Amino acid sequence: MNTARAELRKLLTLPSLRLTALLTWTATLLLTYAYAAAESRGEPLGDAAALAPLGYTQAGFLVLGVLAAASEYQDGGQIHTTLLAMPRRLPLQAVKALALGAVTLPVAAATAATSTLPANGATWMPAATAYLTLTTLLGAAVAGVVRRAVPAVILLLGMYFIAGPLLRARPGSIAAAYLPDTAALNPSRGAAATIIWTLSALTLAALTFHRRDA
Amino acid sequence: MITIDRVSKTKSRTLILHDVTFEARPGRVTGFLGPNGAGKTSTLRILLGLDRPQSGTALICGRPYGKLDRPLTTVGALLDGSGAHRARTARAHLRWVAASNGLPDSRADEVLEVVGLTGDARKRAGRFSLGMSRRLGLATALLGDPEVLVLDEPVNGLDPVGIRWMRTFLRDSAAQGRTVLLSSHLMGELAEIADDVIVIDKGRIVIQGRLADVTGDHHTLEDAFFALTAAEADRPW
Amino acid sequence: MVSLVRAELRKLLGLPTAWVGLVLGTLMAPAVVLLNAPYTRRAITAGTLTDTSDLGLRDLGIGLIGPMVLGVVVVSSEYTSTSQNAPGARQLTATLTAVPDRLRLLLAKTTALVLIVAAQAAVTAAATLTLTQVLHGEHAPVPAPARVAAAILYWTLTALLAYAITLITRNGIVPLALLIINSTVVSVSFLLSKVTDLAAYLPDIVGTRMFIRGTDFPVEIAPVTAGLVMTAWVAVLLAVGAVLFHRRDV
Repeated sequence: MNTARAELRKLLTLPSLRLTALLTWTATLLLTYAYAAAESRGEPLGDAAALAPLGYTQAGFLVLGVLAAASEYQDGGQIHTTLLAMPRRLPLQAVKALALGAVTLPVAAATAATSTLPANGATWMPAATAYLTLTTLLGAAVAGVVRRAVPAVILLLGMYFIAGPLLRARPGSIAAAYLPDTAALNPSRGAAATIIWTLSALTLAALTFHRRDA
Repeated sequence: MITIDRVSKTKSRTLILHDVTFEARPGRVTGFLGPNGAGKTSTLRILLGLDRPQSGTALICGRPYGKLDRPLTTVGALLDGSGAHRARTARAHLRWVAASNGLPDSRADEVLEVVGLTGDARKRAGRFSLGMSRRLGLATALLGDPEVLVLDEPVNGLDPVGIRWMRTFLRDSAAQGRTVLLSSHLMGELAEIADDVIVIDKGRIVIQGRLADVTGDHHTLEDAFFALTAAEADRPW
Repeated sequence: MVSLVRAELRKLLGLPTAWVGLVLGTLMAPAVVLLNAPYTRRAITAGTLTDTSDLGLRDLGIGLIGPMVLGVVVVSSEYTSTSQNAPGARQLTATLTAVPDRLRLLLAKTTALVLIVAAQAAVTAAATLTLTQVLHGEHAPVPAPARVAAAILYWTLTALLAYAITLITRNGIVPLALLIINSTVVSVSFLLSKVTDLAAYLPDIVGTRMFIRGTDFPVEIAPVTAGLVMTAWVAVLLAVGAVLFHRRDV
């Protein structure tokens, strides 16, 4: 309980997280507007206007996760303080994930609502909220292994926005159903992939955290 | 009470600690002396559960650091840096650390006052000078009013007033019955405050005992140190 | 000045992240051409891909992550802390002690970045286009040298764009996120161009008009105009970045 309170406080007092959340939500709002404007002009930008903006702004949630995890390792060496105060690493890692999930959930819900509600996609909102929250945890897990923000962002955004679309664009590609971000456009199809990717990444991060010298 | 028993560690195939064994007792200031890269920090990191040894045990009050309940109430540690994220204010930093060990928020302001940072409580850690960062690190160590203090090069970066303050503070802590273990490569500084001295060189303990015994026939601790480590320098690995 | 540029080149090439940008950026495009060769050939024989004049050149875009990463780390590395003892200590402090004239420093940095990225772009373009000729020679015309040069210029300007934004934000994550998302298959700029024709003048879109002929575009822009517009974007952002860099405390 003490650990949870400490981790929540840490997340809530980090200015970069607030800024990222705000920018992400604003970008979603702008994109939703762009989709709606295109639709009203009779030339829709795609068929999934309720979710399409999230396909882009999920980047903000990846960054949110990366910043939350990498902040421990940035200058100042906060990770020492963390481990001196809470030396049991596996429970600590679990609480960290839960705390980040709890902080992300309202941001994810607001972002999902912004994108889905205007496009009459209210039914997608819970799934989109869950997806964005899991994506944040995936970002945090990867940054926990890499321990530096910029390389983690390059890796994740490169995967999501360059390698992913490439793999998916190949005719007859089977990769589509197995990539972590499939659910961004097709929740019913990609839910399992997102959950499995996130859990695997979290497990990997917990194991490295447990074994590595801090 | 700190007990280190035959701790060895290899890092990228180099033996950095070899059978390190020593004790630091309550009511005494124990100085851990050695040149840069001798293994002082590695030993302290193992003691604090940050690094893992290949073999041996490092115990605080009879338990490994990871098994301590609310560890900050038993051990206060100062490693290099402030241990605070640059974007957080000093007070926000101390408050999350306090929360992690179930300590009241009011402790944050109390320890800030002890280290003389009351006026900088709302300043972000990234704007602190070297000396202020060290004071913030010490404030963090004191949050739980611990009975054991472990400090890595505590006077690094402090101004003369700060050094004098630190010296008095550590002597007082020992006088109140606390166990104080501090590492340093500054022999003159250590000779001023330590009751017991442990000398480490190239990962091995060279000598340990009361300050007077370690200094022995030599003029100063510094002379003793060079005599001891020079003798060791030729030994093949 | 030469020694300054050499120092900056050495600093940049000493960064592991810069090498990620160099290797990824150079290998991605040729690899994609190679991997997609069977599909491209099938599309050409099936008649679904009729306009082959952009073949190869269009694939170059995938390697743009290279110049983006390089442009960002040239600056962001200066702002990472070098010492745990003082969270305020940054490499930039050491850099500015060695080269106190900030504008000269920026000039040296810019030159080093341009040299590296132009070399990378030339190698990548040569590899990608040669590969395209070998694989689809009978269908793909050899692109005019001017178009290849324009593609190299586009890479260099993209790196400078990343560099200028990072100078302004002093943080690598914002420009990386912006630029990488925008380099995805359906970029945000492209979406915006459907909403307002003005978006066609955004730097990343207008830049491609220098060497891509394909016509799913609302506005027709001549290659030279396109080059000038993108250069103007980069110049303005660089000027803002330089002024801020000159004025700000480290």
